[in-house]
Amino acid sequence: MKPATATAGTGAASGDLGRALAQRERRFAAALLAPAFMALLATTTFPLVFLMWASAFRMDLAMPFADGFVGLENYRTLLTDDRFWSSLLVSLVYTGATVVLQVALGLALALLVMDMKRGQGWFRVVAILPVVLSPAVVGMIWRTFMLAPEFGIVDYLAINAGLGSKNWLGDPVLAMISVIVIHTWQWTPFAFMVLLASLASLPEDIYEAARLDRASALHRFRRITLPLLRPAIVMVIIMRTMVALTAFAAIFTVTGGGPGTATEILNLYAYRKSFTELSIGYGSALAVALLIVTLLISGILFALRRAK
Amino acid sequence: MMSFRPTRRTFLKTGTAAAALIGIAPAVLRQAGAQEADLAPYKAAKIDWQQASGETITVAVIPASYFENLITVAPQFKALTGIDVRFEKIPPAQIRQKAVIDLTSKTGTYATHAADPMYYSLYAANKWVEPLDSYRADKSLTDSDWFKFDDIIPAWRAADSVDGKLYGVPYDGEVTIQVYRKDLYDAKGLKPADDLAAFVSNAAALNTPNDRVWGTALRGVAGAGQNMYIYPSIFREFGGEWFKGGKLTVNGPEAEQALSWYVDLMRRSAPTAAANWNWPDIADAFSQGTLASYIDAHSSASVVNNPEKSKVIGKVAYARWPKGPTGKRVSSIWNWGFPINAAQTEKKKKATWLFIQWAASAETQARTAHRFAGPTKRSGVNRTSIWRDAEYVKLMNGFGDNFVDATMASLQGDTDVDWRPRVPQWPAIGDTMATAIQSALSGQATVKAALDDAQRRVEPMMRG
Repeated sequence: MKPATATAGTGAASGDLGRALAQRERRFAAALLAPAFMALLATTTFPLVFLMWASAFRMDLAMPFADGFVGLENYRTLLTDDRFWSSLLVSLVYTGATVVLQVALGLALALLVMDMKRGQGWFRVVAILPVVLSPAVVGMIWRTFMLAPEFGIVDYLAINAGLGSKNWLGDPVLAMISVIVIHTWQWTPFAFMVLLASLASLPEDIYEAARLDRASALHRFRRITLPLLRPAIVMVIIMRTMVALTAFAAIFTVTGGGPGTATEILNLYAYRKSFTELSIGYGSALAVALLIVTLLISGILFALRRAK
Repeated sequence: MMSFRPTRRTFLKTGTAAAALIGIAPAVLRQAGAQEADLAPYKAAKIDWQQASGETITVAVIPASYFENLITVAPQFKALTGIDVRFEKIPPAQIRQKAVIDLTSKTGTYATHAADPMYYSLYAANKWVEPLDSYRADKSLTDSDWFKFDDIIPAWRAADSVDGKLYGVPYDGEVTIQVYRKDLYDAKGLKPADDLAAFVSNAAALNTPNDRVWGTALRGVAGAGQNMYIYPSIFREFGGEWFKGGKLTVNGPEAEQALSWYVDLMRRSAPTAAANWNWPDIADAFSQGTLASYIDAHSSASVVNNPEKSKVIGKVAYARWPKGPTGKRVSSIWNWGFPINAAQTEKKKKATWLFIQWAASAETQARTAHRFAGPTKRSGVNRTSIWRDAEYVKLMNGFGDNFVDATMASLQGDTDVDWRPRVPQWPAIGDTMATAIQSALSGQATVKAALDDAQRRVEPMMRG
């Protein structure tokens, strides 16, 4: 664009030349951009459009003769599908619980570590370890080493604490608690690191002034720390919510959605419909529904963020 | 996903062969002679084994000893036919999905794969695999007098056929039998259960969790091939019919009795953890001495007799499935068979058929079983004649008392082609039922509610 403005107004001929040059440059830029743009279209936009397209069809590998365009039929079925609503509820409970726990624990840890004089660096390195593990690996570790009845570490501790052996993944309520704890265990360090970084950047003079005014520690926390940390907290909530809504690997490996459907989040239900039951059209509709839910919730959160 | 790589053993073998080449010429000649003799039993077939020479085919199998043995002898196939075979090992939990994705996208990646017999209806409905009867009938491709197709165990052939048409050739298979601890049973004066009620009372009598011995365990984890492997036998023994008046029915009084029997047994006499167990977990627990009995595939005998891990060798005995209130015993008809992927060139299809014929032939079955040089021998050979072979029977009886008799009696008397509903919708039905069974076991729903809910879910699946 620059050459065009630079040559503007220096006579008609050079102006034409400038425009031609500018146009060529623009074309050249477009040509340079094209491969990356095409790759992006092919890998993100196309699958998304195809997903929506597929959700308007009946695609049943088990009954190929019945395949065809059905419009919104899949969505009508979806609204009356109990299992869709129950998996949506499981998704929301899972997301709500894990995000609240992560922020609360992450903030508590950050405040605690801020006052550590020594070993803060070590603590940070150790704390970040769960985040770098693959969720599938985390799932396998918890399933076999931690939660297995009679053999796992958690169960061993429970027996010694007098609670008795529990079927951590075989009982509907305990299984839900277990998967929430696993997700929280893995991702709290992320909230902790972000909040610790913003805590460290808070100006010290405000606290000094507050201390001179004899504000109590609780007061200082509620009136200074929390409001100043608000942008960071909201950002953590938004990022963690989006990830929790679309979580898959850990639950898939730990419970597979079981027992029964007690931990079957919407994502898992869509997967089972598409790839186990081979009902691709309806599975796509479920995935689109999940996309809409995620967009809605993050839209609300972003609106809240801008509100103040 | 793993492709076939030379192991340390094959590396050592190559090394030895190379040393022989350098040093001792007569040994080389002998070896060449041996190679010639190796193929003689195959060359007795009146077909041109070399007709698809130069082709390369990829075969998907699961990482199990019975396929490892086949991979080990596969160089003989290359020598016989000039066809290159690449093996790809895919865990059983993923092989069905991978195969379906390959078949539906018609890429022809896998010329053939170890197929779940329950999937042939789906494959046939989509025309993804070739009907095999024309290959069997073609005299240039098959020498029926040599191949002796009828020697292959009838129940498995039936399981790999849809409406009387053959779609896969069984390579290895299994039956479901009772496995129990002779010493524990003898100590209490118990006999292996003849009916389901006796099985429950035996398990209850031996269930002493304080001594870390539980009465029994059946597959508990949810999955079409896990809890929905063991439940259909119970359902059929209680007189259940999958198709009542032509309509798929998974609930009703027989289903409720069957599921209650399973849930009560698991809650009273099995370890709590068994709710998440598949067969390897059960066999492991049994070989550690923590289970008094279980009912599962006869092939798990090789796990409970593994000298490196098992503490119960010499204390194991076998019996058929206990019979149900109807007097029926119902075993699985599980087998891994090979179909031909239809999305291939004609020449590749021929190459694939030659591979299948070679793998399922009596000669290769023997070479991968009792005549196999390695430590693990197969217990699921596909030939009735081998099950009568004295050498094989002797080897199999090493697994414990009554092993061959219980297996043979089950193969001949207890197999039931309607063990599970054989329809293209099976993957969806199997998954739905697996979820229902687990809901009932975990107490998320009552037996009746779980089954009624499953019925509501399977009905729309059957509507065209």
